[in-house]
Amino acid sequence: MVATRFIGWLRRYEKWFGITAAVLIAVGLYTALVTSSADYYQGEVVRIMYVHVPFVQTAMFSYFTLFICSIWYLWKREAVVDNACHAAAGLSLFFTAGGLITGSIWGKPTWNAWWVWDPRLTSFAILFLTLIGYLMLRTFLDDKEKGATFCAILAIIGFIDLPIIHFSVEWWRSLHQPLSVSTRGISIASDMMIPLTLMSVGVSILFAYMLMVRTQMLYLEHLLEAKQGRLLSEGAL
Amino acid sequence: MHFFSVVRWIAWKDLLSEYRNRENISSMFFFALNVILIFSFSFSLDPDTLKEIMPGIIWVAFGFTAIIGLGKSFLIEVNNDCMEYFQCLPVPKGAIYLGKFLGNLLFMLTVEVVLFPLFVLFFNLEILDQFLPLLLISTVATIGLSALGTLFSALTVQIRAREVMFPILLLPLSVPIFIGAVEATRGALSGDPFSMYRHWIELLGVFDVIFVVVSFWIFEFILDY
Repeated sequence: MVATRFIGWLRRYEKWFGITAAVLIAVGLYTALVTSSADYYQGEVVRIMYVHVPFVQTAMFSYFTLFICSIWYLWKREAVVDNACHAAAGLSLFFTAGGLITGSIWGKPTWNAWWVWDPRLTSFAILFLTLIGYLMLRTFLDDKEKGATFCAILAIIGFIDLPIIHFSVEWWRSLHQPLSVSTRGISIASDMMIPLTLMSVGVSILFAYMLMVRTQMLYLEHLLEAKQGRLLSEGAL
Repeated sequence: MHFFSVVRWIAWKDLLSEYRNRENISSMFFFALNVILIFSFSFSLDPDTLKEIMPGIIWVAFGFTAIIGLGKSFLIEVNNDCMEYFQCLPVPKGAIYLGKFLGNLLFMLTVEVVLFPLFVLFFNLEILDQFLPLLLISTVATIGLSALGTLFSALTVQIRAREVMFPILLLPLSVPIFIGAVEATRGALSGDPFSMYRHWIELLGVFDVIFVVVSFWIFEFILDY
């Protein structure tokens, strides 16, 4: 019953998340690409930041969601929570890959290299590999409940990488720039900060929207499989 | 049965079984020996460059050894239908994890202690005055590797394609351990004062505590199946 209520809630509110994300991203892209000024040192190249930074932040946010859902699953054992975990992992992989690709494109003109073995890049690549391992683990387990538990365990252990990614630029003297927004204050111009914030919030809400839609899809697949199993056991198929 | 008795008996069982058939340690040792041999004729290096890349070579060899040895840790239990008995034991399941972890840690350390003289022999290293720091680094890094390896061994032993999945899951998550171990070993081999690379050992210690505690807590969910 919890699952039905939860899915009903997702269905009711998903469109508002979709519309809000679309509006924020549209306004964010306009301010980022048209009205905001170019960087003094990097010139027009800096505009990739408005896609790269939101993608990276959302990748970490989506892994955090996966972590919370995994603990929730181990606690309550609700199939719909496992569907949310599965959805969050796939989306986290999507945003991590996006962050790596856009970062690489940004790195070429600024660092003159597509890739450097910098602590933040390395820890982000670890996150990418962990997520691939997570999704592979799901395909190798025939027993759904066992797969859900094992994947939750992997997600919880893999969470250790997140603080490493976030603080790597503070702990190690690296090529990657330090945090622009931290306890020391904000070290970014306000006409850049506004589109960046709009894009960050917009992409995070887009993730929430995609998570809602994907969780429903996976839950329906789960119901279909359960129904097929029941029909098979009754000899109807 | 008392919690610590279970830990002790499971570790003792693994050590005794290994002492009798020597399957795990011998395969770990000869595999690592092969890796060292391949590295030794792959690079013909001057002493300065060797010092630079030696920590990497050492930890690649130890990492492969961990994959070979730790991956099989729970296979023997599955083959002998012992997993069901583990599930039935009326103790916190974390005790079983700690017992297996201790056994694995001792296997790994034994192989590493035997391999170090071979590194000295094949690569002309002078490590006698750095013996204690290197022992400390190896121990601290191996605790983390064994903690993760034991957990993932119990997890992958129950799935298809376990040989593929074990390194795929273990290696990305053990990268922080390898980074710390390589940096600390580099400091020790270069003859730096201990204070200059102590922070890497402390970082490894933090990872050890996190991995052992989380694995201990989470192991119960693996044995539920």
